[in-house]
Amino acid sequence: MRHDYIDRYARIDSPVHRLPAALKLGVAFALVVSTAAVPISAVPYFVSCVLFLLFVMIAGRLPAAFVGVRLLTLEPVAAGVALLSLMQHDGLFVLVRILVKSNICLLAMVLLSNTTPFADVLAVLRTLRFPPLLITVLALMYRYVFLLIDQSERMARARRSRTFSGRRARRWKTAAGIVGHLFIRSTERAERIYSAMTARGWR
Amino acid sequence: MNTLEVKGLSYAYPDGKPALKGVSMHAGDGECVGIVGPNGAGKSTLLLHLNGILPADDRRCGEVVVCGNLLANANLHEVHRTVGLLFQDPDDQLFCPTVREDVAFGPEQFGFPPAEIDRIVRDALHEVGLDGFEGRSPHHLSGGEKQRVCLAGILACNPGILVLDEPTSDLDPRGRRDLSRLIGRLPATRVIASHDLELVVDLCSRVYLMDGGEVVASGPALEILSNEPLMLAHGLEKPHSLQHRHPHQ
Repeated sequence: MRHDYIDRYARIDSPVHRLPAALKLGVAFALVVSTAAVPISAVPYFVSCVLFLLFVMIAGRLPAAFVGVRLLTLEPVAAGVALLSLMQHDGLFVLVRILVKSNICLLAMVLLSNTTPFADVLAVLRTLRFPPLLITVLALMYRYVFLLIDQSERMARARRSRTFSGRRARRWKTAAGIVGHLFIRSTERAERIYSAMTARGWR
Repeated sequence: MNTLEVKGLSYAYPDGKPALKGVSMHAGDGECVGIVGPNGAGKSTLLLHLNGILPADDRRCGEVVVCGNLLANANLHEVHRTVGLLFQDPDDQLFCPTVREDVAFGPEQFGFPPAEIDRIVRDALHEVGLDGFEGRSPHHLSGGEKQRVCLAGILACNPGILVLDEPTSDLDPRGRRDLSRLIGRLPATRVIASHDLELVVDLCSRVYLMDGGEVVASGPALEILSNEPLMLAHGLEKPHSLQHRHPHQ
């Protein structure tokens, strides 16, 4: 089984994919920073941001449905913070502001990660002299997140194949067991990976 | 001379359970030595010691001698370079985002000249039959390809001694055959721990049979592996290819 849905389209070919990774990373970073800084009253700015990102999506041959689903999966974080803001004075205004700004930033990140292979992003960070340890951690995270998803799905499937009662309390209990197991397995794997790194000269 | 010698090695796990009890073995220059035994016999633990991965502390006693030098904390880095270790699960060993970076990892750590690293990576991938795989990411490879990239990552460091832990465990018959042929033609000294007894028959001249953390028998591969009562007593079986062959044939 393969889990490449995080960056499923990162390795297809399009005019956007062919642009240098450094340029795409720079534009995405500038867009995020300026979106956070520009006041919400600057409507033309936000409209042009959205239009620009939609243009990138179309030029990058990314299916709108895929981008939409990715955005929705990331939405709870932004929406959660936005909803909390309703409790304060002028809450509705703040809610709109947070939703607009965070969605533009998330969209920029979804587009970046699906038009640029992660290894290329890391290569740019390396030339920019980011701390090597940070880059190693990012590289390891990217490498093993797929394995972790795989492992949890295999365990969930094994559980489903032996689950006969639909009692909710019981389901929660087994789910907790799976999380615990995953944690132990991940720690053990981390130790083995460290051994493998040491064996090839890491120090 | 790429030789490896273990003298009276004992080791206990952190919980105090003994894993190795006075194990002695050796591998001569260019020799291919097999280590067989049931699950939990201590084969993997022994292999981790050969490359100095497990610490030399009070839970360990005995000696590991690599190319005539006693393994100690001071020469660990040198030993890592001399002894290439292939882990059982390729996913533990392929920790970089691309094949190129993974194969280049060892040479970079050991300070090979940066200008040469591209050529080293290309040569190592060519040696394992994966030309042009540089840009692929490990999670898109098949089991056999992963195992071969792991081997390329080790060959790239140009080690004199190769230590392989279950190299064929996840492979289909063709992948297994290819890897076996590849390992067979490498000039390095090789130590192979495996349940794949046919592989041991094909490649190894001598074997050590381990059980319960001890070496219970050692000798010429065909003699040990075709001793059916001995194999059965230690949770193994006489390989099919030896069923009708005389041990001294």
